[in-house]
Amino acid sequence: MENIDLFSLREHFNNNRILLCFNGPISRSLIEEIGNALKNYLQAENVQPSSAMDVFSIYVELTQNIRHYAKTKGYGELESSATVVVAKDGEGHYLVQAGNLVDKSDGEALLGKIQALAGMDKAALKAAYKTQLRHPREEGVASGAGLGLIDVARKSSLPLNASLSHANEGRAFFSLRATI
Amino acid sequence: MNDLNIQGTQSTPAITSQHGEGLLCMQGDSYPENSFEFFDPIIRWIETYLRQEQSPLRLELRLVYMNTSSVKAMMDIFDMLEEAHTAGRQVSVDWFYDPRNERVLDLADEFREDCTFPFQIAADAFVS
Repeated sequence: MENIDLFSLREHFNNNRILLCFNGPISRSLIEEIGNALKNYLQAENVQPSSAMDVFSIYVELTQNIRHYAKTKGYGELESSATVVVAKDGEGHYLVQAGNLVDKSDGEALLGKIQALAGMDKAALKAAYKTQLRHPREEGVASGAGLGLIDVARKSSLPLNASLSHANEGRAFFSLRATI
Repeated sequence: MNDLNIQGTQSTPAITSQHGEGLLCMQGDSYPENSFEFFDPIIRWIETYLRQEQSPLRLELRLVYMNTSSVKAMMDIFDMLEEAHTAGRQVSVDWFYDPRNERVLDLADEFREDCTFPFQIAADAFVS
């Protein structure tokens, strides 16, 4: 086995101001535990409670979205892996970035949705949120029925940024970045 | 009728009800993966109360963080209260929040926008 260069991995984390990183199959309890660590970290950093809650809530929505998607698709453990990063940008803004494997066509639809959200101002996002809140729930769908991404966009200080990278077997890696 | 006494967890609020007092209390964070499953007994309790009792109903809330699926379930609860109010029932909500975190005020306030029954939002000394 090749030796993993922990030192360069550490340098990479430090250079990118990554506070927290997770890569692998994510469970309900892991979302809670990592979320708890994130809360404690933000509290120790004396982040304003309202900003800390924005970071936490974006983290929860994005990771729960990944769980719901993998469940809906009946993905196996490996395909259900999530890659989650919480970092700080050069100006001190917190970033939450989350990615997962998706069916290519779903990924393209998601990109379109994110682009539409990125073009909306706060008032338009609030209106979209309220409309979606009133939208009847689909039978058997346990999630927030499309509210999550609008909520993430509302809590971000910059437009959402998404990308799609090609993967094997009709899949793509969907990555979404929210800046708080 | 039976009362609710649901212990809070990291991702679900503590719920208690006292039907004799017409009171339902919810306290804590709410971000279960399956919010509809979690909120179902609460919705059923409110339905039963409104059907069986004629006394007023008051919700005392100290909810802090809610994921969007919890928000959606909560909206269903407020819609039920709104319907009861329109039908002439006395229903009210008192939502207490930690004044250091204005996001909770924003959350409660957005719910209130869609309600015409008495809905009070007040800063609390309560600290989570």
